[in-house]
Amino acid sequence: MRDPRVDRLGELIVSYSLGLAPGHILRVDVPPVAAPLATALYRAALAAGAHPYANVEPEQLSEILVTKGNDDQLEFLSPIAAAEIEFVHAIVTIWAEENTRALTRVPPDRHQRLIASSRKLVKRRWERIAAGELSWCGVVFPTNAHAQDAEMSLEEYEHFVFRACHVEGAEDPVAHWNAVRDDLRRRADALSEAREIRILGPDTDLRLGVEDRLWQPADGRHNMPDGEVYTSPLETVTEGDIRFTFPALFRGREVEDIRLRFEDGKVVGAEAARGLEFLEALLDVDEGARRLGEVAFGLNYEIDRFTNNTLFDEKIGGTMHVALGSSFEELGGENTSALHWDLVCDLREDGEVYADGELVWRAGHFLEQPEPARV
Amino acid sequence: MSDSRLTRLADVLVGYSGRVKTGELVLLEAPVVVEPLLSEMYRAVLEAGAQPVTRIGLDLADVLLTEGNDDQVAWVNPARREDIERADVRIVIEAATNTKAMTSVDPARQALVERSRSELRDRYLERALSGELRWVLSAYPTNASAQDAEMSLSEYEDFIYGAAFLDNGDPVARWQEFGEGLRAKADFLAGKQELRIVAEDTDLTMTVAGRQWIAADGHENFPDGEVFTAPLETSAEGEIRFTFPAVFRGRQVDDVRLRFHGGEVVEATATHGQDFLHEMIAVDEGARRIGEFAFGLNEAVDVFTRNILFDEKIGGTVHLALGTAYPECGGTNRSALHWDMICDLRSGSEIYADGELIYKDGRFLNGS
Repeated sequence: MRDPRVDRLGELIVSYSLGLAPGHILRVDVPPVAAPLATALYRAALAAGAHPYANVEPEQLSEILVTKGNDDQLEFLSPIAAAEIEFVHAIVTIWAEENTRALTRVPPDRHQRLIASSRKLVKRRWERIAAGELSWCGVVFPTNAHAQDAEMSLEEYEHFVFRACHVEGAEDPVAHWNAVRDDLRRRADALSEAREIRILGPDTDLRLGVEDRLWQPADGRHNMPDGEVYTSPLETVTEGDIRFTFPALFRGREVEDIRLRFEDGKVVGAEAARGLEFLEALLDVDEGARRLGEVAFGLNYEIDRFTNNTLFDEKIGGTMHVALGSSFEELGGENTSALHWDLVCDLREDGEVYADGELVWRAGHFLEQPEPARV
Repeated sequence: MSDSRLTRLADVLVGYSGRVKTGELVLLEAPVVVEPLLSEMYRAVLEAGAQPVTRIGLDLADVLLTEGNDDQVAWVNPARREDIERADVRIVIEAATNTKAMTSVDPARQALVERSRSELRDRYLERALSGELRWVLSAYPTNASAQDAEMSLSEYEDFIYGAAFLDNGDPVARWQEFGEGLRAKADFLAGKQELRIVAEDTDLTMTVAGRQWIAADGHENFPDGEVFTAPLETSAEGEIRFTFPAVFRGRQVDDVRLRFHGGEVVEATATHGQDFLHEMIAVDEGARRIGEFAFGLNEAVDVFTRNILFDEKIGGTVHLALGTAYPECGGTNRSALHWDMICDLRSGSEIYADGELIYKDGRFLNGS
């Protein structure tokens, strides 16, 4: 039976996220388990007068490639895929896993090679997006594996995902996301005026320089669900301490209760209740891994809990996150690294954020009027 | 539980049928239900030192045909053009989840699909003819196909794997030996000028002089077992009745009778699906002429299963295809259509070559 929420999600992505026009070619990258959403996208794209096609990517083929392929096979870039990235007008990537830990035991260097093989395509994709030639949206389709990570039943998790996308009820999802777009744009413009951001919370007092850096709204065009404003902070300015109460995930591995100390923009102290060795290994990946590439406010208040999935966790309404590693060039960022690791800080209880000394955010919400500093 | 015959099938498809070699680009095309076999083929291609790429589709054809406009239905995906241009080997696995999903679709729209797709087919046949591309077509057992064959899924699996000689210890050796027998038949037929098929409601003559007979020994179709040619385009005269239902793109037409004059269909009737039959043979000029004539010679395929890949190989049958001819036979007919129709000759039938009886009740008389 067709789930009307899935149909609405397909329509939302086609009309709002992608803005698909008649004659446009849409490729939907989809694992078999997410066929219902791919079908909904296909229908919506036909209704928009576009030319959709599905590109099914079974999960286990990556595993076979990583375990049985030689180096050449692992690093191979298909000339067909290279041609496709040039002529498609839109791509939807559906993230839906049947087992989020299927590649946990694979040798990390081989996994790394596999990821590296697609880097050229990813780079070209972002070039064409920047040039306005291509639209792209990544979307999660609820599966038991993701529900399990979130410690929910599939039904509960579906409800959670579809609510976060605003396709659950009778409201008009496009109208909702248009309102979100305006709201986040206003926030981002205001933050782009700031020179310094100071985050205060439990075991946290961190100052970041953001002068002349552009804040960007994440408003559902590139991710669904979405809801954050983000920038890349100045590379050598971050000072102080921050504690991340949520577990930090990287490639299926968890580090718990991370505390970082920054001096001149660089991590000079790192602690964790569990997984410290892994944390230290990641900090040593390269020069840039010890500096921040991103700071952001999570602003989707339908996402109200931690679910072990960065796409959602970084958008939890009332949180902030910073990322160690590569920054966003288009926002003025200059940090380069092979790492980009988002770490989420819960500020919903008693967090405060100051912009140039003015209180702009308290207990997980922006204030309508900034207040003068109390400290 | 994984079926070890699936592993063997993948190995035979990649190693024997596709002759996959190191460094080649191997395109694996299949609908999503084929996943278990696809994984095995993906592994086999990697082990051969070649590069697998996949083109896996969802069952969206009925959505396209019912909800798409004419432009969308006729659209040729440029990714498919790239597939056909770039691949060294193309292995296509057919599998149905519902063989009747298209039944209520307007036949005119299906004709539109056939016309728009012919560009891709012409190109891959062209590349195949020049030796740049090898292709293999096979089938994966599903409940939908088993249902059409009036079998359980496990009976149907046994049927398919039996027809593919996968129960044999060394399937490749068995296929090589079987291929020898087919080539002997092809050599025998190569010297003939004219064929006449006589059976109930059937008396059809056609000229095959100068045309190539090809032994289909498991390379382009798998399983396989036929010898085929392309008769002279203007030569067919007389009548033929197809005892088995003619199935095309999920549509079934029953009891087809065709009358030919000057190589062209001048009358076509059916007890069921006649409109669809008329729509298809009107697709273009070439759709009214015979593109292929063949003997089915795989004795392990002994029942009609409503799947043309198997049915046309039933030992004791002949089939002819309306529409495009295989250029390697010397045939010149071109059409967006290639519709195989099968005639059971296992009883009360005779075939004459240049006036001499060569085939009776489903068997050749020359000792084999």
